[in-house]
Amino acid sequence: MNNRETLLKRLQICDFTLTEVALFLDTHPDHQEALEYYQKYLALREEALQEYVKRFGPITQADQKNSTSWEWVKGPWPWENCEV
Amino acid sequence: MWSYDKKLEYPVKIKTPNPAMAKVIITQLGGPDGELGAATRYLSQRYSMPYDEVKAILTDVGTEELAHVELVSAILYQLTKNMTIQQIKNDGFDTYFVDHTAGIYAQAASGTPFSTQTLQVTGDTIADLTEDLAAEQKARLSYDNILRLVDDPDVRDPIKFLREREIVHFQRFGEALRKTQEQLDSKNFYAFNPSFDRCKNNRSRR
Repeated sequence: MNNRETLLKRLQICDFTLTEVALFLDTHPDHQEALEYYQKYLALREEALQEYVKRFGPITQADQKNSTSWEWVKGPWPWENCEV
Repeated sequence: MWSYDKKLEYPVKIKTPNPAMAKVIITQLGGPDGELGAATRYLSQRYSMPYDEVKAILTDVGTEELAHVELVSAILYQLTKNMTIQQIKNDGFDTYFVDHTAGIYAQAASGTPFSTQTLQVTGDTIADLTEDLAAEQKARLSYDNILRLVDDPDVRDPIKFLREREIVHFQRFGEALRKTQEQLDSKNFYAFNPSFDRCKNNRSRR
C-alpha cells in the first residue's frame, strides 16, 4: 500500500464511520453518546482530509488549492484501478 | 461517492395548487427527456470515457441533474399540496391520484413509468456525447413547451432556470466533443471508438 492508498483508506474509515453514526442519529436524534462519537470522528475526518488534499488533490471541488489550474479534472478517477 | 446538501439548487415557492400543471411538468421528472434519465445517462456513460475532462463534465453535469430531479419534484410537491378532490376530478388528476395519491412518482406526462429505454450507454465516446447534445436540446424544448402551457409566475420562474441549465450543459458537452475530436486523427474524425481500454495512456498526476 503506497502513501496515497494509506491516506485514502484513513479518510474512507472516518467517512464510513460518520455515515454509519449519521444513520443511527436519524432515528435517535437525542442520543448523547452517538452525538459525541460523531463529533470525535468529524475532527479525525478533517485531519485526514487536509492531509490527503495537500498531497494528492481534491476530494470535493471546494478542496481546490492550486491557483493556476482546476485540479478536479486530473485522474485517476475513483472507479479506475490503475497503478499510479 | 455522493453527499447530500439540505437545500434546493434554486428556490421553489408556489402559492396556488394546480394538479393540471403537475400532470404536464411530471414529464421532466420521469419522461423520455426528463431529469432522472439525464442523471442516469451521464453518470453511467462516464465510466467508458477515455479523457479526464470528459469524465469530469459527465460526473458534474450528472450530479447537477440529480439536483434537478429534486427541483422538479419540489415543484410537483407544491403544485399538488392541499389540492381539493374537486380540483383532482376537474383537472383529470384522478388517474394519477388513484395509484399515487399526492406522492411523487417518476413517470412521463402520458403515464408511462420512467424507463432507461429512453437513453443509451454505448461505450463509444463520440456516440455517447452526440446523444448527450441531443438530450439537452430535447429537455430544453420540453421546458419551452411547459412555458407555453403554464401561466403562474411562481411555476415559470424555476422552470426558466431549468431551461437555462439545459443550454449551458449543451455548450459544455459541445466542448467535451470538440476536445475528444482533437485527439482523433483526420481519417477517423467522426467514427472512432477510443474507449476500449487503457489505463496506461491516461494522463495522470502521479
